Amino acid sequence: MSESPAFEIRPRVFAQPPSYVVSSVVALLVFGLLALIISLQQNLDRRIDSHVAKIEQLAQLPRAEFLKPALLGYHHLGADVLWLRLLQVLGKKKNTSDEYEWLYHALDVVTTLDPQYAYAYYVGGVVLTNDANRVDLSNRLLEKGHRENPGEWNLPFLLGHNHYFVLGDATKGADYIGKAARTSGAPDFLPGLATRMHAEAGNPEVALEFLEALWRENPDLVVREKLETRAKEVMIERDLRMLEQAISHYQKKYQAYPKTLMELVSTGYLPRIPEEPFGGSYELNFRTGQVTSSTHPTRLKVFRRDLESGM
Amino acid sequence: MKVLSIAFNTFRENLRDKLLYNLLIFALLMIGSSLVLMRLTLGEFHRLILDIGLGSINFFGVLIAIFVGIGLVSKEIEKKTIYTIISKPVARFQFLLGKYVGLSLTLLINTAVMACGLLAVLSMQDVPIHAVLFKALIMIVVEFMVITAVALLFSTFSSATFSAIFTLALYVIGHLTPDLKAFGEKMGGVGKTILEGMYYILPNLDRFNLKGHVTHQLDVSTGDLLAIGAYGMAYTTFLLTLASIVFQRRDFR
Repeated sequence: MSESPAFEIRPRVFAQPPSYVVSSVVALLVFGLLALIISLQQNLDRRIDSHVAKIEQLAQLPRAEFLKPALLGYHHLGADVLWLRLLQVLGKKKNTSDEYEWLYHALDVVTTLDPQYAYAYYVGGVVLTNDANRVDLSNRLLEKGHRENPGEWNLPFLLGHNHYFVLGDATKGADYIGKAARTSGAPDFLPGLATRMHAEAGNPEVALEFLEALWRENPDLVVREKLETRAKEVMIERDLRMLEQAISHYQKKYQAYPKTLMELVSTGYLPRIPEEPFGGSYELNFRTGQVTSSTHPTRLKVFRRDLESGM
Repeated sequence: MKVLSIAFNTFRENLRDKLLYNLLIFALLMIGSSLVLMRLTLGEFHRLILDIGLGSINFFGVLIAIFVGIGLVSKEIEKKTIYTIISKPVARFQFLLGKYVGLSLTLLINTAVMACGLLAVLSMQDVPIHAVLFKALIMIVVEFMVITAVALLFSTFSSATFSAIFTLALYVIGHLTPDLKAFGEKMGGVGKTILEGMYYILPNLDRFNLKGHVTHQLDVSTGDLLAIGAYGMAYTTFLLTLASIVFQRRDFR
């Protein structure tokens, strides 16, 4: 067969009906099929997907040493995908203690796949300390991060926080803040903070300064809220110390405890009674001379220990 | 019938291309693994045989579906053999359908032979055979049908190399779409709409994956099976319709 112009003219399959009928029928068919696919997909979603929370999958995550070869050199991408999944879990309001174990495991895998993923260490450290109350896991993760990334100042900074506030080891905390201060790119206030932390371990004023610094570095609203609560707790401690000091002065002079806190003001030992930051009040037991906060009757452990060891 | 004769021709062509030689590799793999692994492993030997068997049936089939599928149309165009067919009173969609049915037939027979091999090994090793194994095999064939249709669609408007890349990409994406939905749910707003739209439009190939059910002997209800099958068929029809529309508009020079 010779070259004929027949190829130039598009051969029509549906020759009889007019073209607009054909194209509208075809369009209808395509959309109909699309609708069918979507409805079938939804049907399958309902039928088969039992709603197992994503977090359970983290538990079965293989160790990074085994995962890495399987990723064929795409382990950074693998770390990113895993990180994305992890964040969906972190976003949950409340997790069980098992889930935090898995979370730590997953963070460990992410950071082994990509040891330079400094942000993952940092967020992991914050969440494990503040949400999970697992300062041990938080420290393990942060120390790994600090080892791999000596140039990141906020990892030792966070380690300092964990030791100072949570574990009550002010000296070690101050050491870490000192390490953070010596890192290039660290904020200017760190060196001063570190020296004062060394000098006045357990001083609520220094603690408040530290908390404010943490607050400034953390844009996350949930974390900020937690830091604010902690700062208020430290404020209570500061106020209680002030009140106790005034009471002991009063007691030395009058050989008795004051009947009310207002007596401290009227006798001139205090300019005024401080406001309780949570909106409660400070209450005095006039038999023992002890002051407590109505909202937080137990005192912060960190500072108590320092008080007992002679402050 | 025109479609069937094109289909048989495609099938014959596949045989001439020595496509079924992959069965030999499969046979060697099955025999080899059953001989070697039996000595190496401790317990759970059934599991290994089933995993290797089903895994390689799936893997070889996907490779054939992609790499033969992309050549179905583009090879005819490159060799100019398409002129001899198009000039006959054969509608273009019939040509496409014939090609598609031909390759699907090849894949079906290929899978059937492999399945017989697997069954033979299983019965020789006294592994109990459950109904879910056959269900999984059917679903593997349905997956091949979808992938072949994807390859065919791409090959109607793109070169063989690009079709292969696109189809491979879609195969990988098809197994990851549940993530799209999960991320979409967390995003909300426009992002959610876009991601969920992608989730529903892209093929969810993981639905056809029942290999895990076989290993753990979890039965799949007939209703579920029918629903998955219907989804596969609807998706295939959709892809073939799109391919026909594209192919209908194409000029051959």
